[in-house]
Amino acid sequence: MLSLSSLLSKASSLIDPNLLNQVHGTSSDGQTPTVLFRSNFRLPDSENPLAVIPCELSLPTGEHYFGRLHLSESFLCFSSSAPSSSSGTSSTASATAGPPSCGFSLPLVAIRRVERLHSRSYLFALAVTTWHNDQKLTLQFNSLRSTCEKFCEALKKNLRSQMSEMKNLRMLVGSCYSEWLVNSGKTKDGLKEEPDAGLGMVWRYPGDAKKLRDRSKMRLWAEYLRENGRNITLIRQPTFHKLIRVGLPNRLRGEIWELTSGSLYRRLFNPTLYTDTLTEFSGRHSLSIDEIEKDLNRSLPEYPGFQSEEGIGRLRRVLSAYSWKNPDVGYCQAMNIVVAALLIYMSETQAFFLLSTLCDRLVPGYYSQTMYGTLLDQRVFESLVEKTMPLLWEHLVKSDVQLSVVSLPWFLSLFINSMPLVFAFRVLDVFFLEGPKVLFQVGLAILRINGEELLDVTDDGAFISILKNYFLRLDESAHPRSENEKLRAVTRFQELMVVAFREFSGITEQTILDQRLKHKDSVLSSIESFAKRTTLRNLGPESKRLSTSDLGYIYDRFYKVLYERQERLAAIEAEKERLSDKKVMSSGRSISEKSVSEKGRIGLGPSSQLMDYDYFREFLAGVAKWAIADSPSQVFTPPLSASLEPQWGGNGRKKSMFNPWGDNAEPADHEFMQRLFRRWDTDYRSGLSLQDVVAGLAGIKGKKDIMESISYFFELYDDDGDGRVDREGILRISEALLFITRRGWETPPGIGNAEQSKSPDGKNVTDPFLGSVSGFIRRCFEYADPDQEGKPEVSTGVEGMDELVDLLDLASDDEESVKSPVKEKGTTKELPIGEPKDKEKEGLKVDTENTKPSAMSANIALDPANPLHITLPTFRMIVLADEVLEHFFESGFAESIVLSTEGSKLPLRTASISASTFTNLGGNGIAGAKGLRGVLDNIVNDGMRVAQEVRRRMDEAQKELERNAVPGKYKDDEEEEGDAKSILEGDRDLLKGAEAAVVDDAAKLVVKPVPAATKESEDGVVGSSGDLLTVNTSGTPMRKMSEDLQTPLSALSPRVEFDSGAKSPRTF
Amino acid sequence: MADGPKPSSSVKLVLLGEAAVGKSSLVLRFVNDDFQENREPTIGAAFLTQKCNLPNRTIKFEIWDTAGQERFASLAPMYYRNAQSALVVYDLTKSSSLAKAKHWVAELQRQASPGIVIALVGNKLDLTSQSTGLEGSMGGLSLSAAANSGGDGDDEEEEDARQVTTAEAKAYADEEGLLFYETSAKTGHNVSEVFTAIANAIPESTLKTRGGPGSGRTGAGAGSASETFGGAGGVNLSAAGETKGDACAC
Repeated sequence: MLSLSSLLSKASSLIDPNLLNQVHGTSSDGQTPTVLFRSNFRLPDSENPLAVIPCELSLPTGEHYFGRLHLSESFLCFSSSAPSSSSGTSSTASATAGPPSCGFSLPLVAIRRVERLHSRSYLFALAVTTWHNDQKLTLQFNSLRSTCEKFCEALKKNLRSQMSEMKNLRMLVGSCYSEWLVNSGKTKDGLKEEPDAGLGMVWRYPGDAKKLRDRSKMRLWAEYLRENGRNITLIRQPTFHKLIRVGLPNRLRGEIWELTSGSLYRRLFNPTLYTDTLTEFSGRHSLSIDEIEKDLNRSLPEYPGFQSEEGIGRLRRVLSAYSWKNPDVGYCQAMNIVVAALLIYMSETQAFFLLSTLCDRLVPGYYSQTMYGTLLDQRVFESLVEKTMPLLWEHLVKSDVQLSVVSLPWFLSLFINSMPLVFAFRVLDVFFLEGPKVLFQVGLAILRINGEELLDVTDDGAFISILKNYFLRLDESAHPRSENEKLRAVTRFQELMVVAFREFSGITEQTILDQRLKHKDSVLSSIESFAKRTTLRNLGPESKRLSTSDLGYIYDRFYKVLYERQERLAAIEAEKERLSDKKVMSSGRSISEKSVSEKGRIGLGPSSQLMDYDYFREFLAGVAKWAIADSPSQVFTPPLSASLEPQWGGNGRKKSMFNPWGDNAEPADHEFMQRLFRRWDTDYRSGLSLQDVVAGLAGIKGKKDIMESISYFFELYDDDGDGRVDREGILRISEALLFITRRGWETPPGIGNAEQSKSPDGKNVTDPFLGSVSGFIRRCFEYADPDQEGKPEVSTGVEGMDELVDLLDLASDDEESVKSPVKEKGTTKELPIGEPKDKEKEGLKVDTENTKPSAMSANIALDPANPLHITLPTFRMIVLADEVLEHFFESGFAESIVLSTEGSKLPLRTASISASTFTNLGGNGIAGAKGLRGVLDNIVNDGMRVAQEVRRRMDEAQKELERNAVPGKYKDDEEEEGDAKSILEGDRDLLKGAEAAVVDDAAKLVVKPVPAATKESEDGVVGSSGDLLTVNTSGTPMRKMSEDLQTPLSALSPRVEFDSGAKSPRTF
Repeated sequence: MADGPKPSSSVKLVLLGEAAVGKSSLVLRFVNDDFQENREPTIGAAFLTQKCNLPNRTIKFEIWDTAGQERFASLAPMYYRNAQSALVVYDLTKSSSLAKAKHWVAELQRQASPGIVIALVGNKLDLTSQSTGLEGSMGGLSLSAAANSGGDGDDEEEEDARQVTTAEAKAYADEEGLLFYETSAKTGHNVSEVFTAIANAIPESTLKTRGGPGSGRTGAGAGSASETFGGAGGVNLSAAGETKGDACAC
């Protein structure tokens, strides 16, 4: 193993020096040595360079080539290093001058025998016998003996592992036309049926076969194939390239395309993929299938084969199978034309694999959802025109003619619907052999040849018509008036090919790669800004309830979470794989390289548009601080990290790679969040689209009044939609209320200065909220309807309101402030500073004085034997009866989700402070929630104790928070933890003392931003937040800290932007 | 006809709309007065030209007929760049296509040249039961004429393929200030009217006058530019649209 890995490192350093240079130039584009290796030899993505050795190849025909021999898992490949020379290892730029003059990609399974030759003394040579017996290659290694032996060792091992593929090989070879062609002379071979060479066999191939000299071509090919192997064992010699340049014969065209593009090897290893796919998805429907169906009748309609059911059937099957196999691409118009063209020359299966090779390798991204590849190559083409034909380019710019409107269809349909078919196929012949650069070379040549005329045009129309005319006359003589007969015989098409490949021979694969890399970012960003613009505009009516900037923020956030997480998970997956299987270390590396670098941009075309629950949690954690877990769980610390530590240098950055949440705060997992998720998942796909998220957020943040907001919350818990929430639901609602508010629920700090000052420390707000929640539970049970009655007591909101007041009168002697929210609803309430104190007192009063009546009624109501429920009107009453709750539903809940751009930084910071402070409150996940539930369940017989118990816990939490805020004090305070009541008293004392200070501070801070605040906040915010502030128990240290925290934050967060967005007239 | 003295100006027009609503067919009807059941889908965009003779001037439309498939949308800015007019087409037997049309209108209003004249066109009127009854109300030439024609006659919805009522689309068009027509590329109903209305709605000031008809073009088709208001509504064949129905861009 050790030797192998050392070989490996050597191998990568020995790969063609040209390739290495390329790697340095393009390493950030994922053009790793591995990728280049695959694309040079047209190998499937599963292949990796394992070993390489310099060697001399001697062919049975007598030729000798120097070059390098490469070994991968299932291939033995050779490329000569100098064009048809025998002068040794001069590493002239073979990669820049097109494909190497000689080479092969031999599947190991096609090797029958490898023998060590006992040649002269020190030389190390192998004789390779291939599948086609008549062929024997001699490979003489030029390297150290140990290296040679290692190479042979690896070769032996891989040869053995490939034995099982033999069956596939037989199948494949049997389907190759070349086999039939070579053997047809000797009939004993038993091949009776002519292999499928496309629709052309029935409906004729385009063009005049005689004029194309198809027969002579066929004879030449038969000779070549006999001497140099065929299909799977073919060796490429210079003649091979020449034969392709003059145009392929009709019946061999499909197979040679397959061979030169490498799709033949895909077919070799997946012999049944095509038919399996068709069977698996037969009868299924998708958007792509519909789109395909629309275009079937309009794909090369002038070709008779596509006026027949047979031809259309083939086209349908190939396009559908591909759309199922690669749903990210699905179906794109132009694919129908390309596939239709392929089907004239090859079978369905061949076309299927060639199409996937096209989409993956030859024209990447052309047909993707965003068509970024198409746009990118247009940009590249423009820059090449500018470089090679500056005069023309200048002219185009001056006359405002956009080149790509002309050239885009050339590339997208590979010239098939631009040129007459016969000529388009000639371009394709070279294209499959030499790669995408051919499209550019031909495109440039077209412009060069028509340059004179094009310099005269001034508008798109004339520009297009010149080229259109040119294409129609490609078969005419290029020099009709020439004296020279030979010159006269040269057609315009021939001229085009000569110009393309001679004059633009400087355009290499590398040029294209470099140019693509250069323009990739700007193309992707313009696609992305377009996508964002249109998406945001088309989010549906719900989205109109949010401001444009909010929508923009949600959009960014949504895709950020989506892609970052996908990337993270992919990276983790790749690392796990790599560690668990050390054998495939090298392949593991290339996998992770690929997946990490190629995903994560909208412009590249989305792989998934849905967020599952975990994505959703991560999303929420970024916008709402309550959605952040209190204590980061250890569950996800990878078991592998220990073994990784040394490798990574043991720093935190790499660790975060293994955390599924990355560098973000770990989100909480609370029943409330699950409910939200289900509620937003309107299509029951177990995933949220952007539209779902926007609609969901609009449902919370876009509520116009408190009533809507209350109903929204109620419906979340009305599982069966019957307008009732049962006992369980009531408890769950209270849990959720505490969960959401456990970090405070006033507008989070840093959002606006006004809010900041009113609530310098949001956390303390929880305290009265706790009282409200316990009151809420009590009242719920008090006013709940027993299930037997079957119908709600209160049917309409208005009645409910009246009743509420009545009921409250009965329930409480001191109803003054309880009543006020109801009576004053809709008017601005500005509670005097002093009132909060009364309120607090009142709260206590309720607690004490009402104990008996409520406990009594509760006793009946809470009896588990008596199922009960509350209705929306009841719920509404109860909420409105409590000022704190009312405020929560009026604005607090909506404001707990922060969408402004800079807000995103906030939760992270907050998390670092308050994480793990509230673990005992029940915010964190199931365990905590259960604790609270346990408490609640135990006290059903005594409604009062709910409040006390929960309050005690809150106080603990509060204290812990303070301790954390002032680390030094942490231990000193510990003894106070004992009695809940005494702490409560102490708090109240403190409160009296602190009150003045708080108010002072508040006043100081409020001064400036007040106008903004009053505008921003709904009625009552000012009043109640003032109220809440005074409850602040001992805020000084806390406040100081949070002020420190807020200063930089508020500087960072231009609330202005958010405001202006919200206030400016909606621009939908 | 007095072609010579009449000022001639070219107007760039772009067609947008969902796939298979009949954009290319509308153009083909307008340019060649022809109709084909199975047309190759437009790849990228097709370019055609056609003249429209108004009493006081000649408008030469340079028509960019774009691909309708959703993913081609990101290419659209390339084509509506500098367009002075746009035809946003929907299929009135398919309500989702109107939604898509609205998206395009919004896109154009924000991203295209200011002052672009947009016409909303509901195509495939031949598939509905009221294929010819709207001549009077829908044939208006100018924006105001079109706007004044009430939505009468759409309450009597019969059992036909129509999914978008005239009233609904009309109301939307009025709200956005668009020209509005219901057409049939198959029968030719209202097709030339749309283009004439657009020609009329283009403000004189934005027209750049060219030398004369057919100038700068080497194409032969423009030949006798004297044909006037015929069945196809005053259109002349020009080079680009001449060769067999194949409307590919090159």
